[in-house]
Amino acid sequence: MGLSSVSTTGEGLLLCVFDLQRGQQEGQELDKILFFYPADLPFSTQLSVIGLSEGLITFTRIFSPEAACEVIEAERHSHVFYEAEPDIWMVMVVEKNKEAEAIWRIDALKELLKEVHSLFMLFHGSVRGILEKEPSGGLTRSHLYPFIMDYLRDFFIGKKLQLPSFRDCLKERRTVQMLTVGREAAIEVQTLVRILESCAGNAHCSSLILFQDLLVSTTLSPEDTINLFTYAVLRLTPHALSSGVSSWSYLRKGYSSSQVAAGSTPAPPGSVLERFYGSSDTSPSGDDRYQVIRPLQHGRWSKGKDGFLITEIWGPDVGSLDLVTPTISLKQTEERMYLCVYQYKSLTVILLIPVSSILNGEQGVSVVKQQILENASLKILKVEEKLSKGWGGENAYHVSGYRYLLVDDSRDISRASPPGKVTTLTKESLLALNKLREEVDLEKNQAKWDYTVHDKDMEMCIRAKNNAWVIARITRGKELYMVLEKANETLLYASDAVEKFSNRYCNGAFSSD
Amino acid sequence: MSGKASISQSSTGFGSGALSHVYIKHPPLRCSIPGSMGLFYDDGTKLLISTTSTQVFSWKTVPFSPLAAPTTDSISEGPILAVRFSLDEKLIAVQRSNSEIQFWLRETGETFCQKCKSESESILGFFWTDCPLCDIVVVKTSGLDFYSYDPASKSLTLVETRKLNVSWYVYTHESRLLLLASGMQCKTFNGFQLSSGGVIRLPKFEMLMAKSEANSKPVLADEDLYIVTVYGRIYCLQVDRVAMLLHCYRFYRDAVVQQGSLPIYSSKVAISVVDNVLLVHQVDAKVVILYDIFADSRAPISAPLPVLLRGLPRSNSSTSRSNGRESENSETSNANYHETIIYGDDWNFLVPDLVCDVANKLLWKIHLDLEAISASSSEVPSVLEFLQRRKLEANKAKQLCLAITRTVILERRPVNMVGRAMDVIVTSYSLSIKTGSYFKGTKAERRPTGVPNVNNPEAGTDVSVSQTDGRGKSIKFESNSRHNSGLINRSSTYSASDSEDTGSSEPLKTNLDDTPETQPSSLQPQTLGPVNNLVNHDVLEQQETQLATPAISPDEMYKFVFAPVDEEMVGEPSYLVAIILEFLRSANVEKVKVHPNIYVLTIQLLARSERYAELGLFIINKILEPSKEVAFQLLESGRQNPQTRKLGLDMLRQHPLHNDYVLLLVQDGYYLEALRYVRKHKVTGVRPSLFLEAAFSSNDPQHLAAVLRFFSDFIPGFRNTTDFCAYYRVLSEMNGTVNA
Repeated sequence: MGLSSVSTTGEGLLLCVFDLQRGQQEGQELDKILFFYPADLPFSTQLSVIGLSEGLITFTRIFSPEAACEVIEAERHSHVFYEAEPDIWMVMVVEKNKEAEAIWRIDALKELLKEVHSLFMLFHGSVRGILEKEPSGGLTRSHLYPFIMDYLRDFFIGKKLQLPSFRDCLKERRTVQMLTVGREAAIEVQTLVRILESCAGNAHCSSLILFQDLLVSTTLSPEDTINLFTYAVLRLTPHALSSGVSSWSYLRKGYSSSQVAAGSTPAPPGSVLERFYGSSDTSPSGDDRYQVIRPLQHGRWSKGKDGFLITEIWGPDVGSLDLVTPTISLKQTEERMYLCVYQYKSLTVILLIPVSSILNGEQGVSVVKQQILENASLKILKVEEKLSKGWGGENAYHVSGYRYLLVDDSRDISRASPPGKVTTLTKESLLALNKLREEVDLEKNQAKWDYTVHDKDMEMCIRAKNNAWVIARITRGKELYMVLEKANETLLYASDAVEKFSNRYCNGAFSSD
Repeated sequence: MSGKASISQSSTGFGSGALSHVYIKHPPLRCSIPGSMGLFYDDGTKLLISTTSTQVFSWKTVPFSPLAAPTTDSISEGPILAVRFSLDEKLIAVQRSNSEIQFWLRETGETFCQKCKSESESILGFFWTDCPLCDIVVVKTSGLDFYSYDPASKSLTLVETRKLNVSWYVYTHESRLLLLASGMQCKTFNGFQLSSGGVIRLPKFEMLMAKSEANSKPVLADEDLYIVTVYGRIYCLQVDRVAMLLHCYRFYRDAVVQQGSLPIYSSKVAISVVDNVLLVHQVDAKVVILYDIFADSRAPISAPLPVLLRGLPRSNSSTSRSNGRESENSETSNANYHETIIYGDDWNFLVPDLVCDVANKLLWKIHLDLEAISASSSEVPSVLEFLQRRKLEANKAKQLCLAITRTVILERRPVNMVGRAMDVIVTSYSLSIKTGSYFKGTKAERRPTGVPNVNNPEAGTDVSVSQTDGRGKSIKFESNSRHNSGLINRSSTYSASDSEDTGSSEPLKTNLDDTPETQPSSLQPQTLGPVNNLVNHDVLEQQETQLATPAISPDEMYKFVFAPVDEEMVGEPSYLVAIILEFLRSANVEKVKVHPNIYVLTIQLLARSERYAELGLFIINKILEPSKEVAFQLLESGRQNPQTRKLGLDMLRQHPLHNDYVLLLVQDGYYLEALRYVRKHKVTGVRPSLFLEAAFSSNDPQHLAAVLRFFSDFIPGFRNTTDFCAYYRVLSEMNGTVNA
């Protein structure tokens, strides 16, 4: 099919965003391209990648109008398709390379596309929206380019882009990790939430509270919670602020400050490309034509004297010395919100105030901030203290003997063995689990189109080559993946182990009734 | 409840403009006797005594009733300096001169005398006591004589003598505390407590006296000294006329500690205690200032205001006519009332809460107007604290607390403040649970009546102070709360005053074990008796006078605060959720169990505003503790939100409510899982037809066969039921079609 002709350059990745509604006339094909990585690839190559993808989409739509193709597996490449918005497609082409451990789980890659798009929506609104605002596409490109590049930069290890591979199969992107808290602490947290809400007067505020890199409380819809949680862990939590410190969250795997310099590598140097994308990566706030904010830029958040986090990303407030308070838009309500972040030790409190409810802009926001300092800071102190006391450290959720991933699909929550413990697993175990998860993904995706009323229950137990047990169990929307190395050889043992785990840590959710 | 305030206001004779925190209520107890020569109050027996030359009239003041009829005893003629009934009211002691006391046995009329031995000493006074050492104490200028009464020989025996110089003395039966003044300025004091545990001698101490000039030394007089019992603690209040201060001393077993001073604004001051609230009457200024000496604060709880006379008929012509023969009488007496001068010169303040108008021969009981007091402060948490400490009108205090709490929530006052209010309510409830007083009111009838101290022959009809005396007290000292159940049993039927007695009968505490929190609620059973029944709004109160404490249980919080507020409240329910959270926080701290209905309400509120994310957190973190009610509400609220419904299902499984869980699983189509669950947990009482129906509708013969097989194994004799036959046929038909 000519797929092999697509070169993925040295990094083994092509990533493009294009609009099927654009460039339908001969000679205007370039209009389709909204984003392409690597940007320095000749337009002809870019167009051939996009043309191929477009062809596949059009073709598969004949059979499945509602869900066109999701993935194409070629001999040396995997093409991952994601329709982010109607007719706005994101396609990722990754090279398969066993030696370089380039073994992916397609759904994990798709989650990555979803994530970058959701984050983009969080700050800039929909791609279609920007396109409608400025049909030439320049504005969209100048937004997409720095945003996705900033996002991808987190995946660079050295000069090499490292996408989530089989080694990350005990992690689940697009879920939230929660802190387990006792009743007393939970009540304190919830009272804090109410106090925060009352700080903005009659405005209907939302809040998100994180302890370390774990979610403690949210008043947002699940989707918005995931987006904001992701952003917080990427850029706002104490760990993220002191970037360079190694993190145990999957979201910030390899990033360290040394990559800031390397970050400029993918920038298209001058010439046609720069004009095309309307952005040179080096200028801090986009280029002269468009004022583009770059919320994912590294090292741009810092803690202010009053405990609120400040950033220059949104630029200085016109006519005052203050910085502009960031705004985001929520997916559920499509409401524009001010983003206020207060941090005390390990506790990060995110308050979202509807822009429409604050009449005098920055001044109004600082009034709310003042209210928070006056009314809530004591409570914040108390909550932080309580949570710190109950916090078991980054290995708090380690269960000895088990390497597990627990996903609650209905609540978009996951919990997993700490990464440090997962690394002790052998490659064979991880590969086996990766394979198992792919099987489960397949089943799940099929079930999704079956329109069955209830979630599918399944149970798989595999004895891997290295004699490890690799187990997947799905019950009513909850998923449990598990690797048991150095375990007894009987299946009974394995199922007992699951039973025990389920009873102790999952309220018996996975126990075979 | 909230309307009460207006009712009671309108019932005052002075119109609604009159403002007061303290009132006396018409009609008073009228104690005018033709030929009366003296009016006495015996605080040991709580009798008001009026004497003629040959008769002693005595009125019970407890329970206070304006209609109380006097009891008459005849005595021989002679001067009367003082009259006191023995605590069992079998003897009357009359001080005839400063050297002689005469005794009458009331049953037989027999009499005997007790005289001072020496000419140099004179009797200052005497009182009956219930301390084990003796029955009567005679205070003389030369010291104390302790006598015991021997009923057989009908005479007194001198038990002990204490040699002391005494200028004057102060004693209240309530505190059992005797203070003997001596010295030039009469400011050096010897103290004794004649408690049930024996006679405790207090360390000698001096009162503070400011000097007006270098050389003048003011002399302390007995009318400047008040012994006050509040919250079971004993204080002494001393008027310092020069400094215009009321010094406050607290008595401990081993020490007397000065605890601040209160300012006074009148050269004449009087003290009353109503329901543990200290009333400092500034007689010249004709106002009263209220203090609640519970915490360290010595700030008054309200502004100085006059005492109000309430319940006076509005016009003489309309009311008195119907009284028939007495009309004339009441005309005149009504005129008297109109002339009743609040803080007149003839007012005598009696311990602890009575006022005697000596000129008009009227006895008034002082009441607190809890409504007015609570309305006078906007500091809601402290108002609630104050109300929660009230025992006398527990029901009214409780209703006020509920009304106040409802109001602050409806007014959407700051969450912090309402949170503190919740703390007050929950803490008070928790305390009442610990001391057992919360259950007293409600369980009164069920208590056995054979408690040792209820051994009075008159127990059925009459209550006298002696009931609380004697043996009962020593028991009480050991276990306050348990014993109190007996006390309340009685006091709920009778009166408030002996409860005050019990409070004071507790021996003095030492400094070390002084924990104010543990004392008050258990020691002070309430109540109001039939005093109030003249004003109709009090009828309701009277029915519920069994309440021992205004403490509010979580269940009542739901019924009388959260549920009504939820109905009345408009707009976003998140504020109410915030308040409920504050309540839960308090309850959690105090380890008070919360009724599931509050949880159910919280779920409804969150679901109503579609805050499912938070609802999930509330459930997962067990802020709303799992229960059947909660589970069902989750299922109900989960109709719009599958995640919430799932939480409900999980809760049913974990709780465990097998039958409900199984039923819901079948409803959701998980009938095979339900069967597995049935087998594992041996759930009985499931209806096979439900499962068979579900399996049949799935159109899968394998499933149907499995279900049939399961029940054949699980329920003995299932094969003979109609269900089996019917579905067996269905199954064979299905198989037939498949095969074909």
